[in-house]
Amino acid sequence: MTDASTPSIVRKLIDQQLNFVAHGLQLKDDDNLWDLGMTSLTCLGLMLSIEETFDVELPEEVLKESTFRTVASITEAVDAALEGVLAER
Amino acid sequence: MVSESAERPQQAELVIVGNGALGLFLAQELTERGAGSIAIVGPSTSETGASRAAGAMLGCFGETTTESLRTDASRVRFELGVAAHDRWPAVLDGLEEFSRTGRPLLSAPDTHVVLNSIGGELDTVNYQAIRAALDEYDKPWQEVDPHDIPGFNPRLDTRSLSTMHLPTEGAVDARGVMEALERKLRAAGVSFVDATVSRLVSSDDVVTGVELEDGRVIEGQNVVVAAGIQSEALVRTVSEDIDLVPTFPGLGFAMIARRSGGDPFRSVVRTPNRGFACGLHVVPQGGGLEYYGATNRLVDTISGVTWMADVRFLAQYSMQQLDERAASHEVLRWLSGNRPVTLDGFPLIGWLPPAGLYLMTGTYRDGFHCAPLLAEHVANELQGKPGIIDPMFSPTREPIATRTVEWSINEYVEHNLAAWFETGAEAAPQMTTPQLTEYYRTRCVQLYDQLNIDYALGPDILWYTQGSLRGARRVSRYLRKHGGTSTPRPETARVGSGDAR
Repeated sequence: MTDASTPSIVRKLIDQQLNFVAHGLQLKDDDNLWDLGMTSLTCLGLMLSIEETFDVELPEEVLKESTFRTVASITEAVDAALEGVLAER
Repeated sequence: MVSESAERPQQAELVIVGNGALGLFLAQELTERGAGSIAIVGPSTSETGASRAAGAMLGCFGETTTESLRTDASRVRFELGVAAHDRWPAVLDGLEEFSRTGRPLLSAPDTHVVLNSIGGELDTVNYQAIRAALDEYDKPWQEVDPHDIPGFNPRLDTRSLSTMHLPTEGAVDARGVMEALERKLRAAGVSFVDATVSRLVSSDDVVTGVELEDGRVIEGQNVVVAAGIQSEALVRTVSEDIDLVPTFPGLGFAMIARRSGGDPFRSVVRTPNRGFACGLHVVPQGGGLEYYGATNRLVDTISGVTWMADVRFLAQYSMQQLDERAASHEVLRWLSGNRPVTLDGFPLIGWLPPAGLYLMTGTYRDGFHCAPLLAEHVANELQGKPGIIDPMFSPTREPIATRTVEWSINEYVEHNLAAWFETGAEAAPQMTTPQLTEYYRTRCVQLYDQLNIDYALGPDILWYTQGSLRGARRVSRYLRKHGGTSTPRPETARVGSGDAR
């Protein structure tokens, strides 16, 4: 898994939850997912699928709503976890 | 708290980690059998343990729900409580001389269970389940006029619909019992070590002792971990590979108040178990003191905090549903504790894979009540004798299944509706109960879809899981390894099948 591929995989996993592509929505890296229909339960599913797909364990301190706000913030957390670095905020 | 031992032992035949009810009663059982030296290790000022915050109702039938006798496994669990109940008269006889409270340790001899209209249908069906269980086990009960219950004085809007008297289920003064027990054990030569265990010590896959936070080690031939919600983390200090059923902290809050006027309660007065918790109850403590309890919420981390919402909940509903004069009672102590709640709701009792290590926890809300019975069982096992309870509670079992996913969804809905009405939540007039039902049902179905598991969870675990990413991850990971699955959920659990309506 290279860093460069993380955002595209993240987008795919987000789309499985929120179905943007079918509705013709072009998701930008800084679009707020919580404003676009994400709920606590879709966030939960997104978190589980991200960990499973990237085979990574996100540190407990990033398991919060703000981590799952945008493609960029999710990518940052995933890349940090992949590098074994705590994603401090 | 009884004064500390001057010296700290370096070894004992048995080291018990945890100074709650389970650990103390086990030590008592063993000393009465003349077993060898015992060291009990635990901080005397623990603010997170369940035992010292307990209401200590001796109420196996008062706790009955529709789930209690529905499956064989639940019945085995229920009958632990019934068997434990019979041991308490002798337990108290042996402790009274060590009590210094000046009040009887049996703080109430009997219980009144009140069905009022505030808690939703769940109250009604659990109330009926209590009666059915009493009849099935041939225990006495009687329908009574709620006006005849000393102390009971609810507001009119939550007056009782029906009330039953359980003459043989009372309550003990939990804190008085613990102090008397500690005094008795010290007199019998048991060592109390006022310290926190940081890890278990092992060598060649045999547990040989415990290390304290200051680095000192106490060696033991056997180590029993009876440290409540701390137990799982301690066991994991030996090996991450021990495949325990997960436990979660069930944070609860209660108050001890001094009555300022009116007739005191002379019996336990309680509702049935309701909405994710153990029902509202008042337990007389003697000396004009009354225990009001209790809340229950599963949380990510162990703490001794009290949530403002829980203070409001308990204070408001005690005044509303038990005695409106409680408004002017003086709160003397706020108690909070963490119940050890297992994923499948059943206790964790048994030897673990590293030799010399025994686990005794996961008793959720009746560890105090069951402690004398479990002590007898564990003492037998430690001494190589046959146990007296079913071996199904092994800590490394597969999670015990008692319900289908569909059943679990309905239970979740019922608990949420009960909590909705009890907390006085209001929806727009055109939003009917079936619509609320559908909301909770849809949410629960979606939760199962996201977790992608087939194991059916209890309502409290579901409530926690839907609100905690950490919790969801832990539950999902464990169940995918154990009977959880990546296959699709059965067709039975779909939005709109509507059985809970």
